[in-house]
Amino acid sequence: MSQHHINDNTNCFNINNVWNNCTVADEKSEILAWLSPLEPRIRHQDIRTRRVDGVGDWLLQTQEYKDWFGGIHGGKSDSSALFFCGGPGVGKTYMR
Amino acid sequence: MPEEGRVSLKNCDVSSLAIDSLCKQAVGGNSAVACFYFDFAAQEEQSPATILGSVLKQVVGGLDEVPERIVQTFRDQKKVIGGQRLALSEIVEFLQDISSSRRTFICIDALDECPPGHRVRLLDSLSQILKNSRGARIFLTGRPHVQGEVEKHLAGRAATRSITPTKGDIIIFLRSVKSFSKDIFLIVGPSPRCTVFRTSASLKLQMP
Repeated sequence: MSQHHINDNTNCFNINNVWNNCTVADEKSEILAWLSPLEPRIRHQDIRTRRVDGVGDWLLQTQEYKDWFGGIHGGKSDSSALFFCGGPGVGKTYMR
Repeated sequence: MPEEGRVSLKNCDVSSLAIDSLCKQAVGGNSAVACFYFDFAAQEEQSPATILGSVLKQVVGGLDEVPERIVQTFRDQKKVIGGQRLALSEIVEFLQDISSSRRTFICIDALDECPPGHRVRLLDSLSQILKNSRGARIFLTGRPHVQGEVEKHLAGRAATRSITPTKGDIIIFLRSVKSFSKDIFLIVGPSPRCTVFRTSASLKLQMP
C-alpha cells in the first residue's frame, strides 16, 4: 500500500516536470516569433539548392576572407566586416 | 541543377556559400551564424529593425536559454494591449550583449536592394554592434555603388573584395550544365568579358 503511494508521487512529479519543460519551450518559441516573423533560412535553402557546387569556393580562400574569419578583434589587421562586391551581371551568362 | 544560361556567381550565391561554410565551422563550437537576404520585392517589410530583429531571432534560437533581459522585455510588452515589438536600439543592444560572449557571424546579402535611408541606418547599427562587441563579425554583399557607403559607415572596419568569376568557376559551371545547345556563346561580365565555344567534342574558353 505504501509503495503504491510512493509510485503515485513519483508519477505526479514526472508529469509536473514535463509540464514545466513544455511551458519553457513554448515561451521560447513565442519569444522567437515575437522577435521576428521572418524566416531568412528558407530563402537560404532555396538559394543554396540552385547554387553550383564548387563555383566561387576560391572566395573563401582569399586573404580577405581568412583575415575576416580568423581575425582577432583589435588586432593589427582588424577587418571585423567584410564586403564582397559584385557588379550587376557579374557571373551572368547568356547563351545562344 | 542550373538551367542553361543561368547566372553562375551572383552575390546571393556568394552569401549562401559563406553562410554554409560558417555554419559548418560553427557546429559544436561556441559561435552563431545568422543571415538576411534582401528581397527587392519586399522592401516595405525590410526596415533595419525587422532585418536585425530577424538576425536576433536566429541568434537567440541557437542559445540553450533565452537571455533573461529578453525574457523580461517580452513579458513586459505582453501587458501592453496588442503587444509591442522591440525598437531598433533594443535589438542592437541585445545583439551586442550576446555577441560579446559568443562569436557571432551576421551575414547580409544584397545591400544594394535596401532603400538608401534604411541602408544608412542599418550600416550605422552594424557599426555600433562591431564597436561594442568583441565577438561580432559582419559579412556583406552588394553591388559596387554601395561600396563607398559601406566603407564610410563601417569606419575603417570593412575590407572589400570584388567578386568576378574565375576561369575555374566557369569551367565548373559549364560541367554542371546537363544539356547544351550545340554552340554556346557566353558572356561573363560586363567585365571581364569571356567567350565560350562548345561543340560536341570540345570546350574552348577565351578570357581577356
